[in-house]
Amino acid sequence: MSSGRQVLKTSLPSAHAASASLTRSTPATARQSPPKAGMSRQEQGPLSARPGTDPRHMAIALHHARQIQAQKDAEALILDRILDLVQFPTSPSADPSSPSPDDARAFKSALTPFQPADYDNLILERNIEGLCGYTLCPHEHRKEDSRGAFRITWGAKGSGPGGRGREMNIVPKEKLEMWCSDACAERAMFIRVQLAEQPVWERRADDAHGAHILLLEEERARTQQQGKGKMRSAPSVNEVTGQLGDLHVHEGASSSAVFDHMAKLSVRDDARSQELALERGDAHPALYTGRVDVNVQENSRAAGPVMAPQMRPGDEKGGSIEGYVPRDH
Amino acid sequence: MDEDYSTGSVDADREMTRLWRTWRTVFEMLLDRGYEVTEDEVQIPLADFKRKYSDPLGYPDRNKMKISARPTEAMQTKYTPLPSKSNPTPQPDCGTIYVEFCPDSTGVGTKQVRAFNHFVDENNFHTGVFITQTPISPSAVRLLSGVPGRICEHFQEQDLLVNITRHELVPKHVLLSPDEKARLLERYRLKESQLPRMQHSDPVARYLGLRKGQVVKIIRKSETAGRYASYRWVL
Repeated sequence: MSSGRQVLKTSLPSAHAASASLTRSTPATARQSPPKAGMSRQEQGPLSARPGTDPRHMAIALHHARQIQAQKDAEALILDRILDLVQFPTSPSADPSSPSPDDARAFKSALTPFQPADYDNLILERNIEGLCGYTLCPHEHRKEDSRGAFRITWGAKGSGPGGRGREMNIVPKEKLEMWCSDACAERAMFIRVQLAEQPVWERRADDAHGAHILLLEEERARTQQQGKGKMRSAPSVNEVTGQLGDLHVHEGASSSAVFDHMAKLSVRDDARSQELALERGDAHPALYTGRVDVNVQENSRAAGPVMAPQMRPGDEKGGSIEGYVPRDH
Repeated sequence: MDEDYSTGSVDADREMTRLWRTWRTVFEMLLDRGYEVTEDEVQIPLADFKRKYSDPLGYPDRNKMKISARPTEAMQTKYTPLPSKSNPTPQPDCGTIYVEFCPDSTGVGTKQVRAFNHFVDENNFHTGVFITQTPISPSAVRLLSGVPGRICEHFQEQDLLVNITRHELVPKHVLLSPDEKARLLERYRLKESQLPRMQHSDPVARYLGLRKGQVVKIIRKSETAGRYASYRWVL
């Protein structure tokens, strides 16, 4: 009786926490439909009031239902954005190497929830429309007339093995036909490697991955400002990957600051530890105490001194076996 | 010159014949699902089909190939949910079906699917079937399945070249009405989740247009018992 009441006491707030905190942890989806939330609260009322139901189960079920809903919303959002980005750039005379700031900003903000696979879908969709796969390029993609399924591409002079000759690649035709030019291919792929692998509904609220996307031109301008950029007219793929390495170095610098923060964290700090749990993603606020409610309950000691068992009549013959008394021989 | 023309017409002939087989399978599918189609429509001879649906060059003209069919009485009763307290007079959850063949031979993307969705929505069809020559892009698939309140399905022409349910190794699948389902569950004292399951994407489930939660009875031949019935709950 008392334990049942205790479950109610501890887990009802957490049931409410489940509804409050999930909207907090998935702001990127940001499409939690308000009527849905209202409906679930209605359902919650009578169900938790029914005797013999554990509100904790309800909280867990709601938690999972919300997760599924968030995932569906995110997928719908990504689909909408793909449909929008297929129409880019806004002006048909836009230059892919210096896109209009509005377009670039819209493009970058639209890409935030994307995974690389979604980005591939976007490229495919643009190709079906007959456009170059790079979103900020208004040109048509290449169409090769000859029938072969593969093409041989030659790299720049001195790109071959050992720095001699030319690098040779055998490329499937459809990979070449995705783009209008090699420059656009490079730009588009530079965007792709910056996208976060994790689907958006699993990302944490403070996950900066995929939030700050740089266009290839911006990245080049940045490295040139820092004096690192090699002044070459046609940078090779190696250079791009080198720049990617730079990116990671910068991330490393910021992550050391995170380590400092972590060191300062105290376990006792309640607000901080909640934040930490959110960041780790291991425990939902509703489930802080674990899914199984462990309730240690000590029995009150039996009143009076303990007595040794006494012989009863008939016990010397072994007594009865489940009510059956063996006959004497 | 003469030779060129003949190879062209052979090509056209082959494509026409393939499309004719797909066309017949579509009608068999509509018939099996329980829509009103006539015997003549289902068993259209190749010559008639060629006359009706080819362009002057002899190639098929997919723009002409649109089908709409209404459900029969039997199908309507089958799709009517059981009356409940909140809904004492339920309406059948089925309606006119619309089938369209996509004329684009390559690269079917969201543009075509959006046009199709719009058409289905505007003409208030309950179900739409979109048939393409090539696979459609992943975002187009998502777009097609995301129409609220309507059911849109997609098939490739080559999937329907042969009617899979006529194959000797495919047992007969019969959809149970909600009433029959309730009786089945009562008779065996089961919850529906205790039935064996079948995927929504199963080829036969796709052919019959089964929906989540429906139960099909599968009737197999059995050497010992003559016939053996089993049930599947569609996920």
